[in-house]
Amino acid sequence: MQRKTLLISPELCIGCRGCQTACKAWNRLPATKTANKGSFENPPDLTPYVYNKIRYVEAPSEANPVRWLFISQRCMHCEDAGCMKICPAPGALFRTKEGAVAFNKDKCIGCKLCIAGCPFNIPRYDEKDKISKCHLCPDRIAGGLEPACAKTCPTGAIAFGDRSAIIAGARNAGYRKLYGEADLGGLGVLYAFKESPEFYGMNEKPAIPESIVFWHNVLKPLALIGLGGAVAGSVLHYLAIGPKRDGEGGEK
Amino acid sequence: MTTMIKKTSAFERANHWIMAVSFLVLAVTGAGFLYRLEGLNSIFGSFQNMKTVHNYAGIVFSVSLVLSLFSYLGEALRFDADDFIWLLTLGGYLSKKAKLPPQGRLNAGQKSFYLFLIIAGTAISATGYIIWLVPTLREWILISHLTHNISFVLLLMAIPIHIYLGTLANPGTFRIMVYGTVPVEWARKKHAKWVRSMEAGQ
Ligand code: SF4
Ligand code: SF4
Ligand code: SF4
Repeated sequence: MQRKTLLISPELCIGCRGCQTACKAWNRLPATKTANKGSFENPPDLTPYVYNKIRYVEAPSEANPVRWLFISQRCMHCEDAGCMKICPAPGALFRTKEGAVAFNKDKCIGCKLCIAGCPFNIPRYDEKDKISKCHLCPDRIAGGLEPACAKTCPTGAIAFGDRSAIIAGARNAGYRKLYGEADLGGLGVLYAFKESPEFYGMNEKPAIPESIVFWHNVLKPLALIGLGGAVAGSVLHYLAIGPKRDGEGGEK
Repeated sequence: MTTMIKKTSAFERANHWIMAVSFLVLAVTGAGFLYRLEGLNSIFGSFQNMKTVHNYAGIVFSVSLVLSLFSYLGEALRFDADDFIWLLTLGGYLSKKAKLPPQGRLNAGQKSFYLFLIIAGTAISATGYIIWLVPTLREWILISHLTHNISFVLLLMAIPIHIYLGTLANPGTFRIMVYGTVPVEWARKKHAKWVRSMEAGQ
């Protein structure tokens, strides 16, 4: 199957937060009580039961004293996913046919290492310490439907489709480059930004922490090489030089 | 009858094997996490159980490590001129003709190994507790995860060598961690200073 992608266009978003509600409804996520902090941003952060949220950025300028930006956020379904790289439990995080990063709570051991691996601060944990995040509605996609958030969006700020078609469409609409096109091997959620990513509160160059890349590429093989080398060295020493017999190599 | 001399206390031997078994359990389960060895499910049932075993074996290992300090730390920190010569001679392991300076109860190699064990063991234990207990402190976890794994690589190299040196490479050594005693004459060849001080103390 073609890799599927969400395309987020903050300039189209009116901040209705229908996507948040639709996600909760489809994924049967309970409501949580929040306090109004005087901002459109509510709930203020992702939680185990909030898979997506609108980040609200106010950017007033001389020309446009009322510039409100709404940026829909969720797991980016990275091609090179730091969460999957560091996760020690096979099957806890897995790649779906459509290229999303989904999870299996039965396999998750609650170690929370995926927090360290994720460049976007996405994984959250339920009360049983099991991972919780957007999974790109694999059950809907399998049934030929769009994800709930994209389906419900009234303005087209969240579009869903084949990755190549989505990128081609954005090119036609005049976007030379989408946020996430090339980052981390290509993100599964792209953003049509008109300004720099920082302006929308996004990291310009998201990356898996270097220590995790080093661990994965160097330490993991090195552990085996080291163990093998130590055992082989011992055997070799035994054969070539041999054990210390009584009197040999004794003290002067 | 050969006269024997006691080289390790019952406490030291018990603690040695507690540490050895807990290390083995930690290494196997740790490798299970590192390489996602699903085959281990036939032993532990699930990765969730394996995590519990790993964490509690970690407590046993770290307590055992602390207890070992009372047995060896003082001695391991005292390196004298003979010890340095011993190290420069590579413990006589690479040449049958090498003559070694007299050693105390622990030879310089054993002292070095113990100091290494304390450093790597403390690093791997402390970072293990951090990963276990405060998993949401991202910066701490990144450095701990790295340190935990570097220590693992080092221990994975050092322990087989330790096993080799304590068994095949030095016939007569293994019984020190089983019965605790060695023949005096054997000890005189390998730990002359210690035997002398024991005899002087008698
Ligand atoms: S955004 Fe984070 S949680 Fe989502 S796939 Fe990427 S690394 Fe994993
Ligand atoms: S918390 Fe679960 S999903 Fe995250 S790294 Fe640990 S086992 Fe994997
Ligand atoms: S794709 Fe599905 S799970 Fe993810 S945010 Fe949208 S509705 Fe929620």
